Amino acid sequence: MSDTPVIEALRVTKAYLSREDEIQALEPVSFEIRPGEFVSLIGSSGCGKSTVLSLVAGLIQPTEGEVRIAGEKVEAPNRRVSYMLQRDCLLDWRTVEDNIFLGLEFRGMNDEATRKQARLLLKELGLEHIAKHFPSQLSGGMRQRVALVRTLAVQPKILLLDEPFSAVDYQNKLHLEELLIRALENRSMTVLLVTHDLEEALAMSDRILVMGGRPGKIRRTLEVPEELRSASPLEARGKPSFRPLFDVLWKEMELW
Amino acid sequence: MVKKWMDARLSRGAKSEIHARYLRRLRLQDGWVGITRWIILIMFLGGWEISSRSGWIDPFLFSSPSRIWNLFFEMLSDGNLIDDIGVTILETVIGFILGTAAGTALATLIWASPFLSRVLDPYLVVLNSMPKVALGPLFIVTFGAGFGSILMMGVAITVVITTLVIHNSFRSVSTDYLKLARSFGATRRQLYTRIIFPACIPDMIAALKVNVGLAWVGVIVGEFLVSKNGLGYLIMYGFQVFNLTLVIMSLVVVAICATVMYEAVSRLEKYLLRHRNLE
Repeated sequence: MSDTPVIEALRVTKAYLSREDEIQALEPVSFEIRPGEFVSLIGSSGCGKSTVLSLVAGLIQPTEGEVRIAGEKVEAPNRRVSYMLQRDCLLDWRTVEDNIFLGLEFRGMNDEATRKQARLLLKELGLEHIAKHFPSQLSGGMRQRVALVRTLAVQPKILLLDEPFSAVDYQNKLHLEELLIRALENRSMTVLLVTHDLEEALAMSDRILVMGGRPGKIRRTLEVPEELRSASPLEARGKPSFRPLFDVLWKEMELW
Repeated sequence: MVKKWMDARLSRGAKSEIHARYLRRLRLQDGWVGITRWIILIMFLGGWEISSRSGWIDPFLFSSPSRIWNLFFEMLSDGNLIDDIGVTILETVIGFILGTAAGTALATLIWASPFLSRVLDPYLVVLNSMPKVALGPLFIVTFGAGFGSILMMGVAITVVITTLVIHNSFRSVSTDYLKLARSFGATRRQLYTRIIFPACIPDMIAALKVNVGLAWVGVIVGEFLVSKNGLGYLIMYGFQVFNLTLVIMSLVVVAICATVMYEAVSRLEKYLLRHRNLE
């Protein structure tokens, strides 16, 4: 693992402006993420964690400071990046298969080879039998799995996840976490996950950034021990070191 | 014997005795609804006919179902009525399709340019508040006293409201979809063709349904003003020569044609939206 950061935030701030008001969402925020790392950003709602993700995704521009991906300043959505939201945002009028090609179409990489890769992904996530189904025929967990395939289909190097599993039930959430980790295994991808779910952050990440306050800033960084990192998300929840760390995070969140 | 036969018919296709009882109750109610509808219609027509024949109402003013029926067949057989129906339907169909298409195109234009949207906003509000049929005289001097004016009336009455409704629909597509598209680097054009436009098709068809009704208003009023044929002309002509049988007959034909057209659009809607969520 090389140590050159793939994502860098350098004293980034963001103010949301309207006719009536200026709302400071972030105090200067700085962090680095190395290639292959899985980093979670946690904090209570309104602490600016989604703002940070949108900045990295290039959907909004920082008021001050800059965000870099692979050393380049982010000024627009980067082709190395794929972004997944809490809502599946599947298009009702397209079949599952046509839905997972959406990103390929927008990126102008919709050819036989990439479509084949996307179909393989569909198979890998156990969805090949519903390729010709329409989204309205699927359950919430299935829909989110399709959204995950769509996210991975553009073959990203960086995955930005904005609470992707918070709208599905607990069982499906665990299942999706496992699927994601397994999908990441054979691909060298860097992941930045935004969540308010402390368990999820602990079970999946290598490192956790705790945000808090208004305007938000990073209060603390927590390295997840090897015992949890090497275990699957489900197994990690049963490890002895899981509970004490959960309590540490919990207290950290309560302070702000 | 009869009861047994009835029970069997009412519970056909039942999965169990409980299901059969449920089906019987449901279908019995369906039956009563249908019978009541017919009773209302028959009593209305029968009452009208009897009142007219026995002189309780003035048959010269209010006619009677049998006279209307006779006139209908008379005019049908000499072919005039078919021509009138054809002309009016043609004007209405072209009117609402043009109105809906033009409204959608305008909505696209102002969606594409937020600046233009802000500039045009007060004009659209004024145009929308304006009673479009009042523009009749202007259409007549511009497009001539005939087909063109009537068509424009049908278009005018539908186009502004369609623009407003569809533009609103474009803007109400969830920002999550816009985020998703932008994160994939979609251009505004791609966003429109792949997401915004298809997402708003249900609203466009809803607009089409409303416009069917509106276009009838525009076309009938247009025919009142200028026409030499069409159902609106028949109504006006019947009124002028005080042939109320002709007026009422034309009204019934208008009602039937409008209903059939509305049903056709509803079928189209069902077909086009067959894969969509019902939420």
